[in-house]
Amino acid sequence: MGLSSAATTTTPSDLLKFCIFDLRRGQHEGEELEKILFFFPADLPFPAQLSVIGLSEGLITFTRIFSPEAACEVIEADMHSHVFFEAEPDIWMVMVVAKSKETEAIWRIEALRSVLKEIHSLFVMFHGSIRVLLDKEPGGGLTRSHLFTFIMDYLTDFLTGNKFTLPNFRDSLKERGTVQMLTVGREAAIEVQSLVGVLDSCMANTLGYSVILFQDLLVSTTLTPDDTTNLFSYGTLRLTPRILSSGGTSTWSYLRKGNVPSQAELASRSANTLSALDGFRDPSSDNYRIVRPLQHGKWSKGKDGFLVTDIWGVEVGNLVPTTPTLWLQQTEHKMYLCVYQHKSLTIILLIPVTSMLNGEEGISMLKQQLLENASAKIFKVEEKLAKGWGGENAYHVKGYRYLLVDGDRNISRASPPGKVTTLAKESLLALNKVREDFDLEKNRGNVDAVNHEKDLEICIRAKNNAWVIARSTRGKQLYILLEKANETLLYASEAVEKFSDRYCNGAFSLD
Amino acid sequence: MASDSSYASPSSDEEEESAGQKPTVDVNINSIDTSLDAIENQLSSIALNAPIDDGTVSSTDYHEEPVSEIDDGSLRESVSERRRNSIGESSSSRGSGLWRNNLEVGVELEPEGDGAPSSPSSSGYAGERGSSSSAASASDTDVIREIRENGSSMCDDGVVPLDPAQAQWIRGKRHADEDDGSISWRKRKKHFFILSHSGKPIYSRYGDEHKLAGFSATLQAIISFVENGGDRVKLVRAGKHQVVFLVKGPIYLVCISCTEEPYESLRGQLELLYGQMILILTRSVDKCFEKNPKFDMTPLLGGTDAVFSSLIHSFSRNPATFLHAYTCLPLAYTTRQAAGAILQDVADTGVLFAILMCKDKVVSLVGLQKSSLHPDDMLLLANFVMSSESFRTSESFSPICLPRYNPMAFLYAYVHYLDVDTYLTLLTTSSQAFFHLKECRIQIEAVLKKSNVLNEVERSLSDGGMRIED
Repeated sequence: MGLSSAATTTTPSDLLKFCIFDLRRGQHEGEELEKILFFFPADLPFPAQLSVIGLSEGLITFTRIFSPEAACEVIEADMHSHVFFEAEPDIWMVMVVAKSKETEAIWRIEALRSVLKEIHSLFVMFHGSIRVLLDKEPGGGLTRSHLFTFIMDYLTDFLTGNKFTLPNFRDSLKERGTVQMLTVGREAAIEVQSLVGVLDSCMANTLGYSVILFQDLLVSTTLTPDDTTNLFSYGTLRLTPRILSSGGTSTWSYLRKGNVPSQAELASRSANTLSALDGFRDPSSDNYRIVRPLQHGKWSKGKDGFLVTDIWGVEVGNLVPTTPTLWLQQTEHKMYLCVYQHKSLTIILLIPVTSMLNGEEGISMLKQQLLENASAKIFKVEEKLAKGWGGENAYHVKGYRYLLVDGDRNISRASPPGKVTTLAKESLLALNKVREDFDLEKNRGNVDAVNHEKDLEICIRAKNNAWVIARSTRGKQLYILLEKANETLLYASEAVEKFSDRYCNGAFSLD
Repeated sequence: MASDSSYASPSSDEEEESAGQKPTVDVNINSIDTSLDAIENQLSSIALNAPIDDGTVSSTDYHEEPVSEIDDGSLRESVSERRRNSIGESSSSRGSGLWRNNLEVGVELEPEGDGAPSSPSSSGYAGERGSSSSAASASDTDVIREIRENGSSMCDDGVVPLDPAQAQWIRGKRHADEDDGSISWRKRKKHFFILSHSGKPIYSRYGDEHKLAGFSATLQAIISFVENGGDRVKLVRAGKHQVVFLVKGPIYLVCISCTEEPYESLRGQLELLYGQMILILTRSVDKCFEKNPKFDMTPLLGGTDAVFSSLIHSFSRNPATFLHAYTCLPLAYTTRQAAGAILQDVADTGVLFAILMCKDKVVSLVGLQKSSLHPDDMLLLANFVMSSESFRTSESFSPICLPRYNPMAFLYAYVHYLDVDTYLTLLTTSSQAFFHLKECRIQIEAVLKKSNVLNEVERSLSDGGMRIED
C-alpha cells in the first residue's frame, strides 16, 4: 500500500478518503450503513466504508473519556492521517489522507481541517444545515444526494489529472477561511463608501447587504465577518472576472503549475460526478431537484452587466432563470443573490426574500433601479480602483515571502502566488513545520485568539539556510520566510522588525 | 538535580501495600546460605503473586533441565532441590525456568518488528542513537510529590507543594482502587499502560490492572483495527490530550497525557518503560506470547510496580530520560581516579561492568575491554536498583537484562550498598560468579574506605551538585 514508485499504481482510495457521518443514526445492529451521509470514493465496498466510520466513531468515543470538552482532532498513523471535524453536533467529517515523504504528500492538519470547515460553511450557505436536512427527510436520501453533488463539485477544483491534490506544504503561505482585502487610498475609500450608500438606497427598505470585490480582493462589505468569508470564498471560486473569463477554473487550480483544466474538461467532470451519483443514491431520491452552486461554468455575464445562471432552475414557460438564493449564517435568513459586474469590479447584493413581496418581479425592478442610479458611481469607482491597482504583484515585498493573518477579522494577506513559487522545497517544508507548531500552541491556548495576552515567536533556520520566523501577538500572526538572508539571527530578526514596522504598524515589533 | 531525600522512608501504609506484592526479605548478610536465600527471594519477589494459570506456560518443561550452570559442587544439589521445592509455592520457578531457558538461547538478536530506528534490540552499543527527542521544556506539571490523600482529588497531580519536606513521594502504586469509571482516574494528567497484544492489561500507572481489563481491550482494539488496515497508529490528539501508541512485538504501550510534551518525548518515555520491562524479563517474553497468545504476564512482573513508578516519576525529574545521558557526581579528580583505578582492577578480572553510583549519579564506571554501557541501560539499571528495597538490605545477586546491550540474554548483577546512598554494581555474564564478585566487592570497599572516597562522595552529595563560585 505504499506510495513509492516501485509499487504498483496506488489506488485513489488510498490517497484520499472522505466521509461524513451522523452518530445519532444507525445505532442498531444491521443498520450501520445508515450512519454514512457521504463517502468518497463512492465505489469503495461497504465493509471498507464501515471500517473507516467504525474507527472514527471508536476514537471519538475513546477520546471523550479523557477529553470531553475537546473533540478528537487527528489520528496520526505511519502512513495516513485522519483529520476530524465536528461540523454540527454529532455530525462528523473525517478526511483520511495518505502521507509520503517522497511525493508532495506532506500535510498540515489544520490546513486540511480548514478545507472541511469551508466545505461545511459553503454547504450550509446554499442548502441549510445538515441536521435540518435530516430532520426534513429522516430517510437520509435528501441529505445524501445534496452532500454528494455539493462535495464532488467542490472537490473538482482540486483535481489535477486523475488525482486530488489537497493543500499541502506548498500552500503554507495561505490561510483558507480568510478574506484578502484591497488596500485603497483615502480618496478611493471615500468613493467606495458613497457607492455603498447608493447601493443601500437602491435596496431601499429591504435591509439588504452588499459585498464589493475588485479583481479577487474584497473592497467593502456590510455583512458579518463569517458571512463575508463565505461569500468571498464563493465569489473567488465562481464569480470573479478571472473565473468567468477562464471558463470556470477556480483560483486554486489557476495557481498550480501544470494543466489547468479547460472548460470542456470541467464540464465533463461535472457530468461524471452526476453519473457516479446514480450508482450511489437510491431510486427514491431521483425526485430531488438538487441545486449545484459549485458547478463549473454555469455563471455568465448578461448584457446588462448582471451575472446570470440557471443553477437555480428556470421559470416554466419563459425559461427565465430563477434568482439564486442562499442562507446567511447567523440570522438564518434566506436571501436573494444578485451579482453585477463591470470590468474588474464585482458587486454582490443580498436581499432578504421576505422583504421582496413580489419575488422575481421585485428583483428585476431592483436591478433596473441599480442600473439607473448606481451605474455612474460604479464606473467611477472601478476606474479609480483600477488606476491605483498595483497589479498582481501589488503586495509583493522584495526579499520577503510572508503571510499575515488577522484572526479577529478573518483577513489575511500574503506574497503573490507567483513569487511564492520561487521558494525552495526545503524552505516551504520548514515553514510548514513551524505552522504546525503554531497550530499546536494555538490549540493548547498558548497563542490565542481570544484573550490577547500571550505572544509567541518561533524562529528556525532551515537546512538550506533559509530563515523561517513566525510571530503571534494580539490575535494576529505573521509568518516570514527569508531565503537570502544573512547568517545571523540578529539580521533575520531585524528584517522582521522592519517589515512589521513598515507594513503592520509595528504590531509585531518587539519593544 | 535535587536530592530526593524523602525517597528512603516509605510510610507504614506503603509497606503494607508493598508487602502484599512481595515478601519482605529477611536475610542475614554473612552466611552463604542466606545469600542464596536472598537470590531466591529476589526471584520469587519478582515473579510472585498469582496462582499459576492453566493457560500459561507449563512449568514442567523447565524443571527437567539440569542445573548445570551453578558449578559450585557442594551447593548444586541443595540449590536444585531448593528450586524444585519452590515450584509448588510460587510461580517463581516458572520465572526462573524462563530465565534459565534464556541462557541456552545465548546471544540472539531478534529482528525488530516495527522497524523503528530506535529499536532497543538493535545491536545496542552506546552512541548509535542520538537524542531524537527535542529538549522538551516540559513544565513540571506532572508532579508526583504530594501528600497522600485518601479521597480522590482532581488536583492530585497538578499540585506542587511548596515545602518538599512535607510532601513525601510515595513509592509504588497509589490510587490502586481506581478504574476507568472513576472521574479521578480520567482526570489524571498522564497515564501509562502496558498491555499484551491480546488485550490483557500488564501494567497501569493508575488503577488496578485487573479492573482495567475492559479499557485494555479497547486500546488493543484500536491498535489492531488500524493494523488490520495495513497501517500503524502512532498518535491521537484531542484538545490538550495526546494518546501515544508504541508497539513492541506482542507488547503494546500506551501513554495518555495532557502535559504539553511533544509526541517524540512521550514516545521516548514509552521506549524507556519498555526497556525497564525488558531489564527485568528480557525479550523472551515474545516467545511466551508466540507459544500462547493469551499468556498472562502480570505474575512475572509482580512486585515491580515500584520500579515502574519510580521510572515514570523520573521522567519529569531526571534530564537523563530525554537527554539519554547520565549525570556524574561532582568529585575531585584524585578521588575519582582512586575509585576508577580499583574498579579497573576489578573489571580486569572478568567483570563485564563495574559501576559505582551514588543515587542516580555516577561516581565511576568501568567496562571490560572498553565495552561501553548505553546511558539508557544505566538509567534503567539504576532505577531498578534504587527502587527495590531488597537491594539495600543485603548484597544481592540478581539476573537482569540490559536492553541496549543485549535484549535477549540475562546478565547477572551483584549489587551492594556501601553506605546509605552509594552502591556498587558489578555485572557479569556468568551466573556462578557470585563469590568472585563478593571478593571483588570486599577489595573495592577496602580501597574506597582507605582512600576516603566514600566520605568524599557523601560530602559531594550533601553539597548538592555544581555551584558557581563568586
